[in-house]
Amino acid sequence: MKGQILVPKSLTNEAIAERLTSTALKNIKKGIIKKKPLIYLELNGCSGNIISLLNGQNPDFEYTLNSMVDLCYCNSLMAAEGDRAIEKLIKAMNEEFILAVEGAVALKNNGLYNIIGSWQGKPLTGLHAAKMLGERASHILAVGACATHGGVSAAKPNPSQSVGLQQVLPDKNMIKLPGCPVHPDWFLGTLAHLLLYGEPETDNLNRPLMFYSTIIHDRCPRRPFFDRGIFAEKLGDQTCLFKLGCRGPVTRVDCPTRQWNGHVNWPIGDNTPCIGCAQFGFPDAMAPFISYDTTRVVKNE
Amino acid sequence: MSKRIVINPLTRISGFMEIDVIIDQNKVVDVKTKGNLFRGFEQMLVGRSPFDAVYFTQRICGICSAAHSIASSRALEDALHIEPMEQGKYLRDIIHCCEFLQNHIRHFYQYTVPDYVKFEQNSLFQSDHDDFRLPKNSNDRISQHYFDSLKYSRLAHEMLAVLGGKAPHNHGVFIGGITTQATAEKVVHIDSILGEITRFIDEKMIPDVYEISHFYADYFRIGRGYGNLLTYGAFNHYKELGTLYVDPLVSTMESVEAFDESKIQEKIDYSYFKSVTDSNKPNEEVTEPDMDKEKAYSWVKAPRYNSRPFEVGPLARLILSGAYNNGISAMDRTIARALEAKKITRIIKILLQQIIPGVDVQKKYELPELTTGRGLVDTTRGALGHWLKIRDNKISSYQIITPSTWDFSTRDDNGFRGTAEEALVGTPIQNPDKPAEIGRILRSFDPCMSCATHVYRPGKQVKTIKVF
Repeated sequence: MKGQILVPKSLTNEAIAERLTSTALKNIKKGIIKKKPLIYLELNGCSGNIISLLNGQNPDFEYTLNSMVDLCYCNSLMAAEGDRAIEKLIKAMNEEFILAVEGAVALKNNGLYNIIGSWQGKPLTGLHAAKMLGERASHILAVGACATHGGVSAAKPNPSQSVGLQQVLPDKNMIKLPGCPVHPDWFLGTLAHLLLYGEPETDNLNRPLMFYSTIIHDRCPRRPFFDRGIFAEKLGDQTCLFKLGCRGPVTRVDCPTRQWNGHVNWPIGDNTPCIGCAQFGFPDAMAPFISYDTTRVVKNE
Repeated sequence: MSKRIVINPLTRISGFMEIDVIIDQNKVVDVKTKGNLFRGFEQMLVGRSPFDAVYFTQRICGICSAAHSIASSRALEDALHIEPMEQGKYLRDIIHCCEFLQNHIRHFYQYTVPDYVKFEQNSLFQSDHDDFRLPKNSNDRISQHYFDSLKYSRLAHEMLAVLGGKAPHNHGVFIGGITTQATAEKVVHIDSILGEITRFIDEKMIPDVYEISHFYADYFRIGRGYGNLLTYGAFNHYKELGTLYVDPLVSTMESVEAFDESKIQEKIDYSYFKSVTDSNKPNEEVTEPDMDKEKAYSWVKAPRYNSRPFEVGPLARLILSGAYNNGISAMDRTIARALEAKKITRIIKILLQQIIPGVDVQKKYELPELTTGRGLVDTTRGALGHWLKIRDNKISSYQIITPSTWDFSTRDDNGFRGTAEEALVGTPIQNPDKPAEIGRILRSFDPCMSCATHVYRPGKQVKTIKVF
């Protein structure tokens, strides 16, 4: 990184993420850093994180693909299918690679509730692939709520016995990016940091501090209503949504300042409570998402 | 000599799918389509707060999440006897339109185009077959549009978020329509993006799909299926605007008639489920497994209308609305998706013109102790239905039939195959070692297998399950 001095223009999370990605791109173009292979594994989930990543803006998917990483495997996007797709996965494993995983690992029936393909005539389970690739990857990113802790795939009564990626790779260091789905900046900013400076600084639960450092409630633009005790009684009200079940006070992520989809809006901006989708324990620990009176007098409980 | 072709995974779809094909003298003679993940949403929903269903069911699918929020909100409105205000409906339907655009642009460029266009740039796009027929200049142009399109699908989600808070998995769609109030700023924000997307669809997407169809004209003759079409209706029943797209209709070779929801059945003759009868109404829970059942070969239930399998989706809607009459085939389905995107831009434009700023459509909702409801709506991939029951303020039953369950259902006691299975039967396969036809035909249906499941038992045959 000789000769590279980051001008401390702005220290907002947004500015830092953008600077990181643009510097990474410059260095790849100059040949200072080599494009690393990335395996993007989709497991038991809704494949919503890859859709969110396609929403990436700075950089966008084309930049990511052409200038940051060599995307070797991605079920949603690759042209190859069937055996030839799986061959690519196996081949990519022989080099150094970064592994990104979205979706939970289904344990039921030895992983047979989530088959990601067929290899040597046998079903390749998500469980098998997660272990095999996780053991060999130079870096691991758990992308979205299902990968970080099971998420909706593991919701009660958890019919597929889904768990987060760490549970099947207990000894492996991994960066966790909770969210349902992940924000494209959280993923691409982390990836850029990995390529430029190695793994970013994380908290004790392995979340990058540059995105997950601050409770939503502490930076909520509706905080003044909370402080004055002015509460919404229904969705659509433009005051504090705390009494409708807002999980902003327990959710640690930068939605209030970053916002979503071109940074145009976010759930609280839409007059709805935060449902804690970026916090461990989502969804069951965050349910009910919407209650019309959380401060009612409870009888017989 | 017959040969078996197994494709697993079928990539470039939402979710995981395996396809098992038998060919004889280079013609498909038998097919099984299998979903490859199981999560069990219907079981997960039991016991939850009914209001949570709107956000929870969106997690069924990352590419069409808003669709589930709309079906779920409608089911709850039905259960709670709430008639949304027209302003609420307009705003909610604009969100739905934005999702159509995001979906159709991504499905065409990211999922379909690599089937027909050869990419040089990147190993991600290395193909298995060599049936690429476009002249170099159009091949290069369309492969560049693959990347150009990313901006427009992203912008479609940005429009969605202006009203819906975020995407995927929006917050704005709810009982009563929407949670936010329109403002002049929001209306012009959406209208400005809409102009850009409309130009892209007119100048790139529609010419691209016709260019491809010109060089792959044989795909107008394969992938037909039964030709039965069904829609629950889309962007219709507005009090003042009437129907902007299509009313609930069904058509078979013999007739076109109004859709009647009492004719929907879920059949389990060939599915591993135990019930008093093998045909059930969609709101009747059929979850008791029975793997020893005679004849059964799959966990997929078979939705039928008037005892027949039906195709759902953009082509069905365009034909039933009278806007398309070229035919039913793999290529017609792909063209219909692009033409529908165009139609959707016009619908957003009309809806935007009706918006009155500052109208709050939300109320504090009360739950009856005992009630039932259903929400039927046509979404990007076709007819989506949510059926729910509420008891003691909790969900006591939740049943979902997704569009991909219609298109990828199993066979039934009348000997009918699933719609996509039938579409493959009879297809000539030019090169059985590198079959391009199977993936192209299946992708023409835009399968969403985040809604399908798979169960294996050690030592037993692979079984397919209906999954969410």
